[in-house]
Amino acid sequence: MSVLRLTCRKKKSKTKDRGKFMLTIKHLTKHYKGSHKGVTDLNLEIAPGDIYGFIGHNGAGKTTTLKCVVGIHDFEEGEIYVNGASVREDLMQCKKSFAYIPDNPDLYEYLTGIQYLNFISDIFEVSAKDREERIRKYADAFEITSSLGDLISSYSHGMKQKLAIISALVHEPKLLILDEPFVGLDPKAALILKKEMRQICAKGGAIFFSTHVLDVAEKLCNKIAIIKDGRLIASGEMKELVRDGYSLEEMFMEVADHGKTD
Amino acid sequence: MGKQISILTRVQLCNFLKLNEFRYTKDQGKKWKMTGLAVVWLMLVAVMCFYVGMLAYGYIFIGLDRVLPMYLAAISGLIILFFTILKAESVIFQKKSYEILCSMPVSQTAIVVSRFLSMYLGNLLLSLVVMVSGMIVYGYYLRPGIHFYLFGIVGTLFLPLLPMTIATVFGALITAVSSRMKHKNMVKTILSVLLVFAILGGSSLFTKVEEEFTVEMLQNLSGIVEKLIGRIYPPAVWLGRAMVEGNTLQAVWYFGISIIGFLLMVGILSKNYQKINQRLYSTTARHAYRLNHLKRNSVLETLYKKELKRYFASSIYVTNTIIGPIMMVLLAASTLIIDLEEFGFYFPMTDRLIDLMPFALAATASIMTTTCTSISMEGKEWWIIKSLPVDAKDLFDSKILVNLTIVAPCYLISEVLLMIAFRPGVADMIWLIALPAILIIFACVFGITMNLVFPVFQWENEVTIVKQSASAMIGGLGGCLCIILFALPVLFVRQIPTDIMKGIVGILVMGITFLLYQKNKKVKLQEL
Repeated sequence: MSVLRLTCRKKKSKTKDRGKFMLTIKHLTKHYKGSHKGVTDLNLEIAPGDIYGFIGHNGAGKTTTLKCVVGIHDFEEGEIYVNGASVREDLMQCKKSFAYIPDNPDLYEYLTGIQYLNFISDIFEVSAKDREERIRKYADAFEITSSLGDLISSYSHGMKQKLAIISALVHEPKLLILDEPFVGLDPKAALILKKEMRQICAKGGAIFFSTHVLDVAEKLCNKIAIIKDGRLIASGEMKELVRDGYSLEEMFMEVADHGKTD
Repeated sequence: MGKQISILTRVQLCNFLKLNEFRYTKDQGKKWKMTGLAVVWLMLVAVMCFYVGMLAYGYIFIGLDRVLPMYLAAISGLIILFFTILKAESVIFQKKSYEILCSMPVSQTAIVVSRFLSMYLGNLLLSLVVMVSGMIVYGYYLRPGIHFYLFGIVGTLFLPLLPMTIATVFGALITAVSSRMKHKNMVKTILSVLLVFAILGGSSLFTKVEEEFTVEMLQNLSGIVEKLIGRIYPPAVWLGRAMVEGNTLQAVWYFGISIIGFLLMVGILSKNYQKINQRLYSTTARHAYRLNHLKRNSVLETLYKKELKRYFASSIYVTNTIIGPIMMVLLAASTLIIDLEEFGFYFPMTDRLIDLMPFALAATASIMTTTCTSISMEGKEWWIIKSLPVDAKDLFDSKILVNLTIVAPCYLISEVLLMIAFRPGVADMIWLIALPAILIIFACVFGITMNLVFPVFQWENEVTIVKQSASAMIGGLGGCLCIILFALPVLFVRQIPTDIMKGIVGILVMGITFLLYQKNKKVKLQEL
């Protein structure tokens, strides 16, 4: 029984106009020194309006890929373009287009919540008026306004996650890169985040996020990529990858168990 | 209990010495770097052994052999006390592993003892280097009895115990007092700095003799030195007498006090350990914030403010880096107090003091710059800077500016004091003002450069970075050493007029600083 159409993987865009995509990853190869682990020859294209889910087992290479995209890791081979700008050649321009939230947001514990948000707003040169409006909007939505004057060291894991999300949204990025964004969030906050993700895409932005919560990915994403042992083994439209009557979970288990990585 | 202590100590040592990182890393470059550092440490140990050996020879040569063991024991004790006091609190009350251990069936005593032991082993190395080197020279020339070696070796093993106990008690007291305060960190920092200066003041008594020297007293120089050591650190005298005279009673005193002090400290601390930790790490959240008008800052401004908050959030970071600038002020103040004629008796270059002072000030202020560890201090939050559109230049500038902010007030006070003391002419005044400034900026930039060569982001305790990292050692002391080297041509090249030489050195230092600065700002942050 085959629950997926692997043809999707081969159905690559013929266009060479990378500016058309919000994120283009071409032949990305990144290995850690002295280790075989990492990412090998990974290709991916994320267009405006995409909510792109990135799934795979622990240690498959999801976080490594995301870290290469956002400039935390350098990489040996390949190219990454964010909104048309090369991560290798114009990292600063790329960084101005996206926001990144890691799986475990270690924030500056010696700052208060509002100081951290102000810090991020300053870095992205958000005007005083805009930052006030946006911080008010998101902090109220995530219900942490009253805690913004407290030190981040006093925050719970969920509150830190909420603060990291607000800091990512405050400068209205075109591309949102999230590593396991729903971990630690309460149901209401998760709902708000999903809503915001959809709104960013509706405005022409894009989301690229890794997750282990396949139910959420299935409902939220229009596209999905599966990584195994550092290689992309399936990617494309959710509708085309998952056959009617099957769930993403079933499809993932089959691909993860039987998908070839070489 | 013994097993728990052994397991916990091993884990602590693995963390401090990065044993597992060396053993299991597959990054050959990292392995070479660590090996290189180990070689540097070994060379330092060798130099220290040689120095102590020569010192011991000198003591024997001038007939002070009887006080040599107690002198070495006192020196070891004071160095251990000085360095442990700056880190005891951070090591004993380490937050992260405390929270993990608290949920396990581990006794508080085992936690306290294991943390104490992890510091003890480092200090033991220092004691061994000092004592064994001295003992070998002493043994070679004076052929003492078996009691010398017996008390010497066992006494060396006990040597770190008492100063560490004293340092831990002070550290715990400071922690206990500050944990009750609203501004815990500020109180902790102020108390720690005061304590360090109290120790420095106390140890300076070593060189101070109240009475005038008489011929009889000089004949009994050993007695004077013994009296001085006894006044500062009596256990050193007990150990020395036990070693030299085979005095068992003195040995009993020495071992007894060391053991009883240690046991008392462990007992009291274990009993109050949880209470202190809870107070120390409990945070107050008022949940009363109301969003008002927000101000926009430039990127450099916001990085600078963030960096300044980071600096003052860590008492060990502040304590270690503020001592240099404060000592600079004390050094400048000393030029007002000392009698230069009397000083000239001890220091033959008194007439060149005005030439030496700019370098002495800068070297003192740069003993430990904030910049040499400021990149590593980003720690697990380093991802934030790496993923933000922040230029390496802005980032490093903000770190340099924080260092300059810390030093600037002390520099200004020192300059005023020097102007009053020397009443210099125009040329000397320019050099007195410009040279320290140039050299301090060099030390800041040099600190960044060294931290870029030896960055460490995986750490649990700030002590690892501030006191034990390669960048702290090479960046701090290296910068200081460079400044001393820059002073040599000004002081010793007689063929070129001093003012011209100062100008040459000033331009040279500015050139080096500029080159380092240019090199630093080209660094790709994602490669760190």
